[in-house]
Amino acid sequence: MSLSYRIAYVFLRNLYSYKRFVVPTFLVSLVEPLFYLITFGVGMGAYMGAFGGKPYLDFLVPGVLVSAVMMASSFECLYGTYIKIVHEKVYDSLVATPVSADEAVAGDIAWGSFRGLVSGTLMMAVALVMGVAPASPWRFVVLLAFMVFMGVLFGSLAMIVTSVAPSFDFFSYYTELIITPMLFFSGVFFPLDHFPGWMKTLAQFLPLTHAVRVSRAVFTGEPAAGLGWSLAGLAVLAVAVFTVSIHMMRKRLIK
Amino acid sequence: MGTLVKAVGLTKTYGDLVAVAGIDFEIREGECFGFLGPNGAGKTTTVRMIHCVSPVTSGTLTVGGMPSGIRNRALKMITGVIPQEINLDIDLTVAENLIVFARFFDIGRREAKARLAELLRFVELEAKAKSKISDLSTGMKRRLLIARALINRPRLIVADEPTTGLDPQARHLIWQRLRQLKAQGATLVLTTQYMEEAQQLCDRIVVMHQGRILKEGTPGRLVEEEIGREVVEVRVPPEDDARVLAHLGGLECAHERVGDTLYFYCRDGHGLMKKLLELDLPNTLNRPATLEDVFLKLTGRSLHE
Repeated sequence: MSLSYRIAYVFLRNLYSYKRFVVPTFLVSLVEPLFYLITFGVGMGAYMGAFGGKPYLDFLVPGVLVSAVMMASSFECLYGTYIKIVHEKVYDSLVATPVSADEAVAGDIAWGSFRGLVSGTLMMAVALVMGVAPASPWRFVVLLAFMVFMGVLFGSLAMIVTSVAPSFDFFSYYTELIITPMLFFSGVFFPLDHFPGWMKTLAQFLPLTHAVRVSRAVFTGEPAAGLGWSLAGLAVLAVAVFTVSIHMMRKRLIK
Repeated sequence: MGTLVKAVGLTKTYGDLVAVAGIDFEIREGECFGFLGPNGAGKTTTVRMIHCVSPVTSGTLTVGGMPSGIRNRALKMITGVIPQEINLDIDLTVAENLIVFARFFDIGRREAKARLAELLRFVELEAKAKSKISDLSTGMKRRLLIARALINRPRLIVADEPTTGLDPQARHLIWQRLRQLKAQGATLVLTTQYMEEAQQLCDRIVVMHQGRILKEGTPGRLVEEEIGREVVEVRVPPEDDARVLAHLGGLECAHERVGDTLYFYCRDGHGLMKKLLELDLPNTLNRPATLEDVFLKLTGRSLHE
């Protein structure tokens, strides 16, 4: 791989272009958490009573936080990157400069991660307003770092899909068959305890399950079993997926 | 002058498709070198290898003594690319396009600002600095592409069909600027399908067809060698060919029948015309031979798609 500080230039390019979309994306990023936290948290939570001794909203927030990161970084590296390759030809002009194709892709993954961080942070802000806060301030900082990490993981995963996508429609397979189911099988909205055995096993193969576990443990300060394994698994997966995504995108870009 | 670009047996294949079939050429420092050819001749593929965005399949290609390659940042640092396709960053303004591009070449903010002003003046877009790309005409976009290609003060400028889709005013302005750059010492590599463009800009050209180089030389000499000095076009039905040719008898002239026209390639167009006038044909034309005649003769008159 040929990666250098030039990744920052690609990030900068995206930051410049973001100026024009910052208001609509902030609105969308705010509406999404409100939707989840109000409908599920407040609406449904009223019927759920205490959830492990706390309101349902407290259970919901850490999971929805990483889900928001997953959604934002995935969409950026699916649709955002695809537009830059096929429609705007940004990559064509980039690879003719000293910026390598690898750096262009890494810069876009970094950008996807940033978009995830923005979404996650707005979600956290809404949660704070609704009275749900991390157990201590430093946990807040750790969560921010974790969101960046998850953004890289899910951004890279999406980038692999983009590297083989013949058209926009292709992304529906990924979002409808992978991302959306993952949302419901990863313990975001309810604990996995009552799943049948095979579903529990399946859930263990979903990165979001582990991300939610880490997020919840950091957020609440309650210890969770196998936390170290979850983190290690996510780290290994992130490195693998990042490497593969750069490799596959290079194949698409260099001909 | 020294050689800047040298290709030996340069080949590029995509699976079974041979896009460039083992070509040799040398581009000298400070000249304008043109690749001419119909669609699919391999021009763009060749220049893409020169400016290091497409890997060489086999053969060697060096620029400034360094082997070309997609990882060769040093070469990309000294190269400016005016692409065939308008790939300006439509999310950014005119000024931002240049500022952001400057960063890609490690050019600092202050220096980028200075070059921005200078380059916008050069391509006559000062008034458009804050405009969106979508508000520019095609001619303005092409000029901005030139400005963008110059942001790193390149030693080698690769222009891939830089005037496609432009009106004559815009085209002439671009030719002026390209000649100015050459006068300032840059080496220019040009691909084009416009023979006038090649004649206006190029010191030397190669005519490519189906991945091979058919001829190489200065535009003037190629016309002289391949066609002669003058062309006479006679628009008569094919059944009259024998009668016309018999009448011309002794005159030494190559001729060719294409569609509804009989072409004569010769040195003494005047003498030929005199003879033809005796036949009192309705539709004859005597004109200087051009590069277009060379092009059509070498690459054939059928459509290339």
